[in-house]
Formats: sequence, C-alpha cells, structure tokens
Amino acid sequence: MYNLLNNLIGNEYVAAVIAAALPLFVFILPFALAAVLLERKVSAFMQDRLGPNRTGYRGLLQTVADILKLIQKEDITATDADKKLFNLAPVLVFAGCYAAFAAIPFSGAYIGADIDLGMFFIVAISSLVVAGILMGGWASNNKYSLIGAMRSAAQMISYEIPTALVILSLVLVTGTLSLHQISEQQTAYFWNWNILGGAGLGFSKLLLIPFMIVGFIIIYISSLAEVNRTPFDIPEAESELVAGFHTEYSGMKFAMFFLAEYANMFAVSSVVAALFFGGYQSPFGYLGNTLGISWLVPLEQFFWFTAKGMFFVLVQMWLRWTLPRLRVDQLMTVCWKYLIPYAFVNLIIVGLITLL
Amino acid sequence: MNIYDIVFYLFAAITLASAFVVVTARNIIYSAFSLLFTFFGIAGLYVLLGADFIAVVQLMVYVGGILVLILFGVMLTNKITSVQIKTGTLQVIPAILGTALMAGVLIKIFTGTNWHSQMAQYPTKTTAYALGHILLTDYVLIFELLGILLLIALIGAATIARKEEKAS
Amino acid sequence: MKQYLKNTWEAIWTVLVGMKITLKHLFMPSVTIQYPDVKVQLPDRARNRLYVNIDDCIGCDQCARACPVSCISIETVKGMPTEDLGKTSNGKKKALWVTQFNIDIAKCCFCSLCTYPCPTECIKMTDVYEFSEYERANLLYKFSNMTEEEVAVKKENFAKMEAEKAAAKAAAAAAPKVPKPAPAAEATKTDTENK
Ligand code: SF4
Ligand code: SF4
Repeated sequence: MYNLLNNLIGNEYVAAVIAAALPLFVFILPFALAAVLLERKVSAFMQDRLGPNRTGYRGLLQTVADILKLIQKEDITATDADKKLFNLAPVLVFAGCYAAFAAIPFSGAYIGADIDLGMFFIVAISSLVVAGILMGGWASNNKYSLIGAMRSAAQMISYEIPTALVILSLVLVTGTLSLHQISEQQTAYFWNWNILGGAGLGFSKLLLIPFMIVGFIIIYISSLAEVNRTPFDIPEAESELVAGFHTEYSGMKFAMFFLAEYANMFAVSSVVAALFFGGYQSPFGYLGNTLGISWLVPLEQFFWFTAKGMFFVLVQMWLRWTLPRLRVDQLMTVCWKYLIPYAFVNLIIVGLITLL
Repeated sequence: MNIYDIVFYLFAAITLASAFVVVTARNIIYSAFSLLFTFFGIAGLYVLLGADFIAVVQLMVYVGGILVLILFGVMLTNKITSVQIKTGTLQVIPAILGTALMAGVLIKIFTGTNWHSQMAQYPTKTTAYALGHILLTDYVLIFELLGILLLIALIGAATIARKEEKAS
Repeated sequence: MKQYLKNTWEAIWTVLVGMKITLKHLFMPSVTIQYPDVKVQLPDRARNRLYVNIDDCIGCDQCARACPVSCISIETVKGMPTEDLGKTSNGKKKALWVTQFNIDIAKCCFCSLCTYPCPTECIKMTDVYEFSEYERANLLYKFSNMTEEEVAVKKENFAKMEAEKAAAKAAAAAAPKVPKPAPAAEATKTDTENK
C-alpha cells in the first residue's frame, strides 16, 4: 500500500503518513461508530428491548451524537491525579492497539506493513496497551482505577500465554508468522481454511481438524480476556470497580479508551479470522476471477475480511450478553489450569501431526 | 536525509531522553514508565538494524514482561512513591575514575571497531528463520542449557512462594 | 482427571446452552413500550394526580384531616340560612362555601387516604401522571372556583350574620326577662362539640 501511494503521490513522506493514517480513518473510526451502535442494538435485542431508536432512522446516528457529546465535554483531570501520566495513558493505549492494525491484512492489496513476523508483532505490541492501562490506573490516583488496572494487566499477561501457544501450533502447520502469508495459504475455498486442516491434502489434514477446533476455542477465549470483554471484564466490573482503569477519565480521553477498546475487539477478531478462517479469502471463490475483473478481487477480499471480523465481533457481543462475569480467581483458574494445559497438549499433538 | 534517518534520530532521541529520565526521576513510578519508552526506542533501533525478530522479542519480553513486572512490584509495594531515593554525590573520586575508565573503554571500542554502517536493506526474509536454525544447530547445547536454567529458576520461584503457605 | 475433563466439557456445553437462549431472544419481538408515544393502560385503582370535583364538595374537611402529610388546606365559610348552596350529586345539602381548597401536589405521597373518608366522593385519583412543572408554585393546585370578590362577599355576609346574631344575643342578654338556663345550655353544647 505504501508503495502504491508512493508511486501515486511521488513523495515518500506524505505517502508514509497517508499509509499510516489510512486504517484509522478508513477503518477504525467508522468501525468503532458502527460497533458501538451494534453492541447496543444487539444487547437490546437480546434483552427483548429496542435499543436506541430516536437519533436518526432507528437510532443509526446515536453514536455520532455520542461522539459529538464526548467532544464537547469538559476534560476533567482530578486534582490529585498525576497529570503527565494521566494524559499520556490514553494515547499509549490507543497507540498500542492502533499499531496492531499495521500488521492486519485487510485484503491482498492492503496490508499496512507486510512484516514477516506479523502475528508475533501483534502479540508483542499489545503489551503497550497493558503498560498504558497500568499507567492510567496508577495516574488516576483512585483505588478503583488502580485495582482495575492491576487486574487488567494480570489478566492480559496471563492470557497471552495460551494465545501464544496456539499461535505456535499454527506456525507449526503453516510455517510462517506473517498473517499475509497465512491468509494466502488458505486459498479461496473454505475447505482450505486452517480450522478445517489447512490447504494441504491427505490424511494429516483430517487429523488436524479436531485439534484446530480446540486451538480456535482456546485462542478465542483468551482473546476475549485480552480485550477485557465479558465474561472476562473484571478490570472494569461495573458492580465492583465503577469503570475500572478509566473511572477518572472524561471527554476525549475517555473516548480514546473507548475507541481503543472497540478497535481492539476488531483486531483480535480479525486475527482469529486470519489464523483459522481464511483471513481475507472468500469462502466460495471470487467473482472477480470468474468475471475476469481483476480489480474486483481485492475489494471482495476486503469485504470478506470485514465480514469475518465483524462476525467474530458479533460473537463477542453475543457472549457478553449471555454470560455473567467471572470472579478473579476463576479467571486465573480458567487460564492457568485449563487453557494453558490444553494449549500445550494441543501444541504437542499438532507438532506430531505435522511431522507425519 | 531520508526518511530512515529521521526515524533513526527519532528513536535515538526517545531512547536517550527516556533513559535520562529513568536515572534522574525522583519518583520511582516515573522511572518505571520511562523505561517503557527506552525499551520501545531500542526496539525501534533494532528494526532499523534489520533485526526484526529481536525487536519484537524486545517488545514482548521487556515491555510485556519485565516492565509490567516492575510496575507491579512498584505499585504493590506500599508507599513506595513517598520513599526518597538518594541521589546525592558520594565517593566523588572513585566515581570519576570509574566513569572515565568505562568511557575510555567504550570510546576505544567505538572507534576501533570496523562498523558495518551501511543502511539495513528492507529485510526480504525474516531473521526468525536464520535465528531458529542457528539456535537448533550450532548453539543447541547452550539453548538447551538455558532452557534448563530457566526451568530451575521457575521451580525455585514456585518452591519459595509455596513454603510460606505451609508455614501459615 | 475425570473431573477435569468433565469441568471442561460442562463449561463449553453450558456456554453453548446460554448462547442458544440469547440467540433465540435476539429474534424475539421486543417488549418495549415506547413511553411518550405509547402509553400503558393504567390499572383501575392506580393512584396519580388528585382531582376535586368542587361542585360536590361540602367542605367537611375530612380529607384534609386524613392526609398524613397535610397537603390539603381547606377554608370554608358558612352559608346564610337564606342562601341555597345547591345539592351534591348524591343528594346532600351543602351548607358551607368552600372558599379555598388547595392541594400541594408536590407534597402529596399518593397514599390515597384522602379519598376514602370523603362523604360525597368528590376527591379522587385520576389517571394523569405527567404533571411535572418548572415552578414549584405551579404544583399548588387550587380547586376552589370562587373568585376573590365572591369570597369577600360571603365572608362579609357571614360576618354580618354573626354580628346580627351577636347583636340579637346581646339584646336578649340585655333583656332581663330571659331565663337563665339558656347560656348554660349553650355552654354544655359547646363542650360536647369540643369533645
Ligand atoms: S393522597 Fe395522601 S398525601 Fe396525597 S393528598 Fe391525599 S391523603 Fe394527602
Ligand atoms: S372530604 Fe370530600 S367533601 Fe369533604 S372537604 Fe374533602 S373533598 Fe370536600
């Protein structure tokens, strides 16, 4: 994408800036707008309510109105808060989750930075989010914030382990860490998806299927925990901690946390989609290929990628409005006593199968 | 000056400035958080050197692991922020001597080494493959020994943590 | 180990069961009532804003006495014996001019205790519940339909009558032929009234 822009504009600085800003304006902001509305609507429908339906047609403009409201709001900093860190924290959190988007392959033609270590990079850069959350929680000088931040950090670090283990087992199958290549390998039909044993043929493909499903479940659960979604939302448990680490934040800074949270939701969903469900590959082949219109293919890929990402975001919401919150010790039990052992066993078995 | 130079100086500046804050900050929390930027800057420098794997590992291990651990330690320790960290000047002469010696050695190395100072090419292939290969062929013994060392440390930590439980 | 596997299985299974339920609800019609547009039918005995049908009120003050928060204030003036104040709808004869009938609805706790004792059932609960105001003073409902002049006239009439009575009494007292028990009888009468 950067190269394309570079050719188009002829100035590498401008091209770099545009390429870097593109996902934010083309994707993250509209997505967050849509996702917040979706979340409300989904929660409303699941509870047999109507949800917001006054602003715009059936409430479609609700989040726009909310954003306008947030922009107007006074930016409050508590007197005893640590001003510098307090102001830095939302930026850091947002930067962390925004950086993850650099490595996400939106389509064959658009991927922010096609780094070979894409998957590894995403896992690593999300630790910036942990630091930002700790910073915000500490700087707020508020017990709830601090406890929320601590819980959040502990949870994110713990759940990184099963995620990494599942990613490892996928690396054994695919032989690469680049999300772009992983997506490329799962060529354009759904039986080539990694969840169905990858693009290879033969006996080992069939053998892989159950373990891939286990891997998918593990990584999905831990990704839920990493983005602090219910049932793992103890860092912002309303009933205990007001709003967790962002209790003291208001106005635009709060909006940044909010945006980061929703962007993160999509990031982990799309990673899951890219790892197990073919990434941007269409499940049924491409219309563009059949019709011979080559520029249609990347657009289709973008569509499929967004659709898959959105589907998993939707499942996250579905889970959120289904399950109650776990207790802290239960949370740790799930991670250390269940997910990690299963992930290890899964890793070993997948390794053995790939050796076959 | 092309874009890589700018990025290099940016990262270098981040690293140096935040490292300076780490050692001079009175508040230990500030030190801990500036360490984040130091680590981050160093990761950026690694990327510019074409060592992508090391850069990501730097982020993952130092920012994601060690820094968070430090922060946890600092935050969980009661009243640690109010403790005055001593930053007076003691032992002036040995300090000057030590610093001069260290600086001399560093300058010697810096001038004496034949640096490959050409710009890193856009890495066509990730270094992960080469690193993995080396680790499991040439350095396999060291690799395994390190693994055992870490395991021992882990078990040790677990035993120390568990002893108290029995006593109570 | 068996327990461990069972736990895992149960966790996954129960989550799926829960998800099935929520999925079902996702497609159920909503039960929301869009309040300002659509209003629910209130139950028959719902307690909301009070209304006093002042034409039926005989000014007996029972409602004001029943009210636990004393938000009803009633003032009455006796009618002249010659005046016909009309009848209430259930046939009671009115004897008092209700010169003031104020309900401070802001104080009202909607206990409905005032409605029970009313002999003519003229104070009652309506089904109006949206009566918020910007000024607290607007929540003081005045039900009396008499204008100030009318009230002044009635008061004057009453005062005149009293004065006449007093004068008559004075005249009677001045007359030496009046038998003595009369004031005593009056005194006992007032006594019982006080009790
Ligand atoms: S409803 Fe209760 S509080 Fe209200 S006026 Fe009647 S007696 Fe008083
Ligand atoms: S109880 Fe009824 S009749 Fe008596 S004063 Fe009250 S409203 Fe009038």
